[in-house]
Amino acid sequence: MGVIWRVVTHRIFLRVTGLVVGGIFVYASWDKITQADRFADVVHDYDMLALVFINAFALIMPWAELTVGAALIIGVWRRAAGLMATAMTVAFMIAIAQAEIRGLKIECGCFDVSGMSGTEASWGLFLRDIALLLGSMLLWRRA
Amino acid sequence: MSGSLQDKQTSSQTCSCCPTGQGLKWLLRGAALRVPHTLRAACLLLVALAGAAVYNAANPMGIPWGPSPGGRVGIPRAFESRLPQIDAAQALVLQEAGDALFVDSRDEEDYERDHIGGAVNAPMRKWVEIWPDIESELPKNRLLVLYCYGAHCGLSTRQGKELLRQGYDNVIVLDYGWATWTEHGGPTVQHPDGHPGGEEGED
Repeated sequence: MGVIWRVVTHRIFLRVTGLVVGGIFVYASWDKITQADRFADVVHDYDMLALVFINAFALIMPWAELTVGAALIIGVWRRAAGLMATAMTVAFMIAIAQAEIRGLKIECGCFDVSGMSGTEASWGLFLRDIALLLGSMLLWRRA
Repeated sequence: MSGSLQDKQTSSQTCSCCPTGQGLKWLLRGAALRVPHTLRAACLLLVALAGAAVYNAANPMGIPWGPSPGGRVGIPRAFESRLPQIDAAQALVLQEAGDALFVDSRDEEDYERDHIGGAVNAPMRKWVEIWPDIESELPKNRLLVLYCYGAHCGLSTRQGKELLRQGYDNVIVLDYGWATWTEHGGPTVQHPDGHPGGEEGED
């Protein structure tokens, strides 16, 4: 256990984790930034926010992803970016879980908001987000 | 260089009561950059907010920060005036006059169960798959009235946006869709010709 902990908290491992998590966030942001109206539709589908907040959320959230991702890739303010990445990933997981529990058959909107991917919000994505959460938390607490 | 730095540090340490010395010590230790990461996270959020504001203002397909008139969300500013809504009474007039083609954005099984007379089914949830086939059924020179389930259903509005992107100009959304149409006693058709008749007569 001690060996594993030493490995995951090693400077190089943290750097690589930052690159991977940052890359995921930057990639995830792009479609949402360029098609904010479609992303607002996706947010609407999750049925978690009051109508008055949906457009603003759809505008800010992808830019937060981009900023966090860029910070992690460049390697500046990694703990702060890790904190934000953790918070966002938790929000994504809550959104997916409530959609699954309520039986909403909706597009995930994780990386693609044009409806081309056909990826539905599912428990599989929830599990994928656990990996992202662990990486983000590691950067937040240890970077 | 390091010597002078040390001198400065030493001088500030030896003069802890002096405000100037304390300030110098603070700067030399880089305390100005030692901001808590929660505050840095807030700064990142502000950068994101600024980026969103600038990009959205410059983007021709940008969206308003709040809902569009009629409580609709996700409507690009460029489309707000090009995607009007009508109520059931206006839709009934259009249907009676035969001036418009009604487009049912609901799922196929709901359309097959019951739909507005003469409506074409274009299930929005399968838009990417159906678009190549449905395009020829939606003439650009005709007024298209889009409808979906009712309150909180955004499928018809989304379809309207997609059609505007495809170069359509005469697109209208029936506010509250199917729900308001049936409430107002609008004529409906059950199981159109050509549909497998196993469920005929079912509501």
